[in-house]
Amino acid sequence: MLLIDGFFAAIAGCGFGAISNPPRRAFLYIAILAAIGHALRTLLMGTFAFDIATASLCAGILIGFTSLPLGRISYCPATVLYIPALLPMIPGKFAYNSIFSMILFVQNINDEIVSAYYMEKFFANFMVTCSVIFLLAVGATFPVFVFPNKAYRMTRHQKK
Amino acid sequence: MDKKERFTAVAKFLGKYASHQMGCGVHTSRVVRNTKRLSESFDIDVAVSLFQRTLTISVYDHEANRVHSELVEIQHQPILFIHNASLSALSWEALDNHLTLDEVKKKYDEALAAPLLHPLFILILASLANLSFCKLFGGDIVAMIIVFVATASGFYLKQCMTRWHCNNHLTFIASAFTASFIAASSFFLDTTSEIAMATSVLFLIPGVPLVNGVIDIIEGYTLIGVTRLINCALMILCIAVGLGGTLMIFQNSLF
Repeated sequence: MLLIDGFFAAIAGCGFGAISNPPRRAFLYIAILAAIGHALRTLLMGTFAFDIATASLCAGILIGFTSLPLGRISYCPATVLYIPALLPMIPGKFAYNSIFSMILFVQNINDEIVSAYYMEKFFANFMVTCSVIFLLAVGATFPVFVFPNKAYRMTRHQKK
Repeated sequence: MDKKERFTAVAKFLGKYASHQMGCGVHTSRVVRNTKRLSESFDIDVAVSLFQRTLTISVYDHEANRVHSELVEIQHQPILFIHNASLSALSWEALDNHLTLDEVKKKYDEALAAPLLHPLFILILASLANLSFCKLFGGDIVAMIIVFVATASGFYLKQCMTRWHCNNHLTFIASAFTASFIAASSFFLDTTSEIAMATSVLFLIPGVPLVNGVIDIIEGYTLIGVTRLINCALMILCIAVGLGGTLMIFQNSLF
């Protein structure tokens, strides 16, 4: 189950990475990061009953730390590897539900009870979407602050 | 080249170097770091002031007690991580190997001329990515195929409209509408239609500027970070408008 999850996350990471035109050598590492990050989040949410925000933070931290050695190997800045790897974890379902609830709220504006229901649904989904995206970014950036010297020297080749 | 001319030439090049990185999706602290590293390789002291649309490079001539400033407009372009990596590597190479300004300029032009991924290859990968997304959200095989076709159509339209220099927001609305409209065909089939609809527009989510915005805020470049996030919010609003159009057309099929 986790392998399948990681496999599809790897494809998603590479696909969204391709939109950002990364160097060709980066694809393998983006796939690895996306797979381990998403698999960890699925494991934490499925087996250990973590909520999506905390699980995303943990996955972001794992991706951030792993991007340091992989960035060094591929001579790519960590952001080139970890940003595409984070994209499969953006909570699309919650984002969709926010938009859907917003439309229904506007359409039912004259009915107080129904509009309040959709307003509540909109805010709940919107808050989850925002907090997950924020925690993913914070988690992945955290290792850069722990090891700034390593993180800033990824593209440095051997001195002549 | 006398000293004043050299300072002017360096300031002009550093402005071009920094503005290209800002335009192609590099987060702010990296742009500043790379630019300062490059100026260090020329033994020149520099300060960088950045805004969303312009940047200023100030080169200090301590002996003459003079400052030379260059104001450069930032040309926004697609996200190019390949330039993020190569221009960062160039700054290290210049520092470690003491390259001259002409050598750095030549290598800069070479880095920018490097071939990019073929648009068709990107289109197929983006469609496969959305198909995988659909699977990850629990979509069945029919929904996955519909999402693949919807993404390919929406993404192709986005590529065409970008080539035609259409307004960016209009491009997002039209692409989101096209992708979600095709995905709405799932309402007439026995499949996970809600998941197909939700995933069909996800290729448009501006993930790179979103993460860059958060990184900028965390690293203290609050103004640029907030500006990036506001731009992202506008783009997401455009996606919502496109998706909303489809939802309104097919509203009766939703309940």
